Amino acid sequence: MTPTWIWYLNRATGIVALVLMTLTLVLGVVVQRQRRLPGLPRFGVVTLHRNVSLLSALLLVVHIVSAVIDSYVSISPLAVLLPFTSAWRPLPVGLGTLAVDLLVVIVVTSLLRGRIPVRLWRGIHWTSYALWPLAFVHGLTAGTDLGSGWALGIALACAGAAGVATALAWTGRDTNPADRAPAALAETTSALARGARVAVFRNR
Amino acid sequence: MNDSVTASLALPGLLDGPGPRLADHLAAYGPLPPADAVEVAARAGLTGRGGAGFPTAVKLRSVAAAAGATHRTPVVIANAAEGEPAAAKDAVLLATAPHLVLDGLQLVAGSLGADTVVLAAPGRVLPALGAHLAARPDGPSVRLHRAADRFLAGEESALVSAVEGGEPLPRSKFPAIRERGVDGRPTLVANVETLARLALLARGDAGAAGRALVTRRVEIGRTPVTDVADVHLGARLGDVLRIDDDVPAVLVGGYHGTWLPAQVARDVRLGREDLADVGASLGAGVLAALPAGRCGLRETARVIGYLAAESAGQCGPCLNGLPRIAAALALLARPGRVDGGLIDDVSRWCGLVAGRGACRHPDGSVRLVASALHVFAGELARHRAGRCSATDARAFLPVPAVRA
Repeated sequence: MTPTWIWYLNRATGIVALVLMTLTLVLGVVVQRQRRLPGLPRFGVVTLHRNVSLLSALLLVVHIVSAVIDSYVSISPLAVLLPFTSAWRPLPVGLGTLAVDLLVVIVVTSLLRGRIPVRLWRGIHWTSYALWPLAFVHGLTAGTDLGSGWALGIALACAGAAGVATALAWTGRDTNPADRAPAALAETTSALARGARVAVFRNR
Repeated sequence: MNDSVTASLALPGLLDGPGPRLADHLAAYGPLPPADAVEVAARAGLTGRGGAGFPTAVKLRSVAAAAGATHRTPVVIANAAEGEPAAAKDAVLLATAPHLVLDGLQLVAGSLGADTVVLAAPGRVLPALGAHLAARPDGPSVRLHRAADRFLAGEESALVSAVEGGEPLPRSKFPAIRERGVDGRPTLVANVETLARLALLARGDAGAAGRALVTRRVEIGRTPVTDVADVHLGARLGDVLRIDDDVPAVLVGGYHGTWLPAQVARDVRLGREDLADVGASLGAGVLAALPAGRCGLRETARVIGYLAAESAGQCGPCLNGLPRIAAALALLARPGRVDGGLIDDVSRWCGLVAGRGACRHPDGSVRLVASALHVFAGELARHRAGRCSATDARAFLPVPAVRA
């Protein structure tokens, strides 16, 4: 028998990883919609999106390693990458495995973003929207104690945030690029007429 | 060599031909002789007439080289998407000598082995072009593309994007359009005047490369007059354009061009090096003499307001910079007190946007601003003292209404 803290570690990293993946998705939509967060320039949102996603990937490594070495559930090292080969709840664990496989591809292509065609990267990045539900269902079904309530609450809150963000992302950009310049012109003209300073660029 | 001299004497130029009909065209110019476009362009030293003045032979060779290296059939686009509101030369050329343009297109497409041939032009000239194409044996191979009514519609990469069926927005020049353009195929985008000149050169008119079509705008008796002329590149600007004694300045090259003080403009010659010596270039071929009694700053501010609103809105320096420059210039164009730092701000912003866009829209726009601040420095000081030398409030340079 492995000590129980491994089980706790496994559960905690799983839950936090889901929260961080949700945050990554929301930040990704902020990037895609070219919006800003208070106090952050636009490139800061991009960096935050990347760093939060890498942090969630790191937590997933701990989550996976702890699941494999925990003797309470029987998950072979092979089942980490090959879906539906786990002895313990093959279907729920398999969904998590699929999510991990997708995640590896998304992280690797994002790290190589400058060296691969943008279209390839973007096509693969869209699969993030498949990754999140896989991870969500995995979290609800593979766990051993969902009953206590607060874990379910966190999961449902994440689902709500991810759902809203996804809906926003798929409705597309709110401005046509060709309409941005006239809008900026009107904005600056009225600012100068009021005597407001316009020397600062938008990202401050 | 003697043949070509006699031939060039017999051939009419681009604008003094017999008219747009194919039969008249063939009677006046004769059939297009078989020739290699690269060789014809290289021998005459022909340069592109879309604005950049790039050597046509170099462009043709790089499209051919890219086609050979990638084993892909090239695409040829004749560019008549004249987005510049002050320019009319491409439209006039297509109305006067469409078959010279189509001969040039045929010559280039044949030399490059292109199987997709596109003629891009504003919607208003397409019906007539369709009729001219129908009269030609090679007509069915040319696809007409309706160019958007936007300033940037004729920009090389924006045009390629539109021909592909996308938005007419400029994109990155790496890789270059001539290597990877329409659907990733090597693509030649050539101005229609360049093609028409190739058709003349192929027929032996050796002087065709030494001339250019210009759109002239002057005011005669309080009425603005615009016309298009075929001028010699060695001519003095003062001989080509009517510059009255009281004209303060001349706009050379169009809305991405340069203001020149009238005394400089009168004596400068239209050749590339001569214009470069005074910091100007022929660009889109626009020559406009600012009438006396008009305020050059006010004209420039209106043009820059239009250019800022026509930004594709894709690159930060252009989207953040041009509207600020335009709004500040609008303030400076009116007599009255302004924040003393505003002129310095405009100069600084101009430096911040040049060379930082996917296309040259910001560069051309700030070139016009910089020349206006220099040439109209006296007027700028007068405005700050609360006066303006303008006696005529009407607009001179044509500017379409800003899109809402």
